[in-house]
Amino acid sequence: MSAGISNAPGTSSGSLLRRAGWRLERRLEVKPWHEVVTLVGAFIIGLAICSILIAASDKSVVDSYRALFDGAFGSRRAIYETLVQATPLIFTGLAAAFAFRAKVWNIGGEGQFFAGAMGAYFVSDLWSGVLPRGVMVPVLFIGAAAAGALWASIAGVLKARYDTNEIITTVMLNFIILLILSYLLGDLWRSPDTFYFQTVTLPESTHLPLMIGGSRLHWGFGIAAAMAVVVYVVLRRTALGYEVRGVGINRTAGSYKGISVPRVTVLVMAISGALAGLAGAAELAGVHHRLQLDISNNFGFVGIIIALIGRLHPAGVVVSAIAFGALVNGAVTMQIQTGIPAALVDVIQGLSLIFVLTGAVAVRYRLQRTRTDESLPALADPTDE
Amino acid sequence: MSDVLEALVNVGVLASAIRIATPLLLAALGEMVTERAGVLNLGIEGTITVSAFGSFVVADKADSLWLGVLSGVGAGILLSLLMAVLVSSIRVEQVVAGLALNLFGIGMAFYLFRAFYPQTGGEMPRSDTFDFAEIPLLANIPAVGEIVFGQHWLTYAAIGACPALWYVLNRTQFGLELRSVGNNPAACDMRGIGVTRMQYLALAFGGLMAGLAGAFLSVFLSGLFFVDVAAGRGWIALAIVIFGNWRIGRILAGSLLFGYLDAYQLSLQARGLEVPHQLLLALPFALTIAALVVNRRRSQEPLHLGVPYFRGER
Repeated sequence: MSAGISNAPGTSSGSLLRRAGWRLERRLEVKPWHEVVTLVGAFIIGLAICSILIAASDKSVVDSYRALFDGAFGSRRAIYETLVQATPLIFTGLAAAFAFRAKVWNIGGEGQFFAGAMGAYFVSDLWSGVLPRGVMVPVLFIGAAAAGALWASIAGVLKARYDTNEIITTVMLNFIILLILSYLLGDLWRSPDTFYFQTVTLPESTHLPLMIGGSRLHWGFGIAAAMAVVVYVVLRRTALGYEVRGVGINRTAGSYKGISVPRVTVLVMAISGALAGLAGAAELAGVHHRLQLDISNNFGFVGIIIALIGRLHPAGVVVSAIAFGALVNGAVTMQIQTGIPAALVDVIQGLSLIFVLTGAVAVRYRLQRTRTDESLPALADPTDE
Repeated sequence: MSDVLEALVNVGVLASAIRIATPLLLAALGEMVTERAGVLNLGIEGTITVSAFGSFVVADKADSLWLGVLSGVGAGILLSLLMAVLVSSIRVEQVVAGLALNLFGIGMAFYLFRAFYPQTGGEMPRSDTFDFAEIPLLANIPAVGEIVFGQHWLTYAAIGACPALWYVLNRTQFGLELRSVGNNPAACDMRGIGVTRMQYLALAFGGLMAGLAGAFLSVFLSGLFFVDVAAGRGWIALAIVIFGNWRIGRILAGSLLFGYLDAYQLSLQARGLEVPHQLLLALPFALTIAALVVNRRRSQEPLHLGVPYFRGER
């Protein structure tokens, strides 16, 4: 595979291919349907490999996947629950997609999620007794966005000023914020009536209203979907979006066009952090209502994966976040009904991503039939296509 | 207060610092070599988890600790070779491939763990563990004997690997070539040094070392496997490589420092002292960021780190 895709003419498998009368060449243009086929194909291969795992543990593959699907989409309730699971992933997915568009590698979504949740808790703690719900909830989201932006900006400023590798700094910042939170939960923010590392339950005035009464589906999903539209518009229709994409395509050329690359870097980091922070607010105000160390199910990291599977496009992010939410949600039913460990879903997600990545490269090439007779020069042969 | 100070030089704390440093050192050395060949492997956390599981399950089921270590290392190498296929052959973005490997590796390890050991609610399954390998005579020296010469054999091996690795990287043709691949793959290609081959080798070595780190966690330290067995050590190893500015001596020092901070805060917690131990735990990460900024002018970071190499393009 390697040599075939590389442009290395001399390597062994390349000549193997050629001897068989095929050659790989770069496509001039990758059409959208190529990408869709790749994505669906990757997901199917991921599922197929996992069915081997299921079969190996003497369980019925069909029953297992049916339980997975039922749990995810089998009923109204299941669908709402899937959307609940998808909500934080849409935010963190958008956060990663926005940064990656500018080739700013923000791996700190996980930390910014917690920064956001902490910001939301901080303002709730301060004002939930004073402000009515209609004001408190927006304030809480603003607090979360600000905290997420602030935390991410540290990495942004360091990159802009000292050219430090943001992959490393954001990963380090993930750990630092979790430890700060752990400290606060053991001290200042600890609920007095419990031994656990958790805050008190926040009052009703901070709770996000439900989108569908009687379900757990809260307005966080609506906000997430709206943010997807906002991100799309910003990227496509504003000067900032132009700069972001410009820096992403070529940092040097961007600076020649009058784009201040350091400014855009900091701004992109901050916006990306704000989006991840909103996920923290949505989870705190929509689901948990109190701050704990385990309110994130790896949302920040999974968001990165979702962004890539969604091809860094807001609509793609929403679709793949819902797909991942469905997997997580369906896995619970699958585990209960068939005894297949829910961890299988992580394997499916990881494998799908690996194949999506592979497919994203592979889709740029195509196999082309060449002449079987190698002795003739390529262009001299009139039968050559 | 005196307790807080006493723990700083407590023999038990110092001994456990070295113990805690061992998997960090192993994984960091492997990652450093990988990065020297131009590949940033963010998948160490997953590799350590997979290896810890591989060691645990084989040590338990086959009842052989040595087979356990071997299979842990094998699992680590396999996962890293998958990384090599992705980044050196298919050339997907390294950061992403690493994260994918983490998700896949940790999920796979936990899935298989649950498949082998269904949840019963009873006690956690436990494998045998290696005994400490006390060095005769030397272990009898007061204090120093317990701290330095009463460790596991893998700890001695990890420390012994430092000079060996230094020699290979800095004094052999192979080491020079490996470092060149990370700095200027195009020039290597022209000289006939196989860039892809070198990256495969470097990643395999990284997988071997992360594999040993994983084995250390399960069949040396605890005899347990759980999903969070790596507990961020893969990421800390990554931090140590940067903190150590890609130099072996400093990586050794960094591992010991980070291990020491962890051992110290653990002992403070065990004594029930009300100190913000989280701040001690956060220190390594803050120091790493500081090191990145301070070292930026004399950074040893491989010039082509994280950049896929395409022959004939760019």
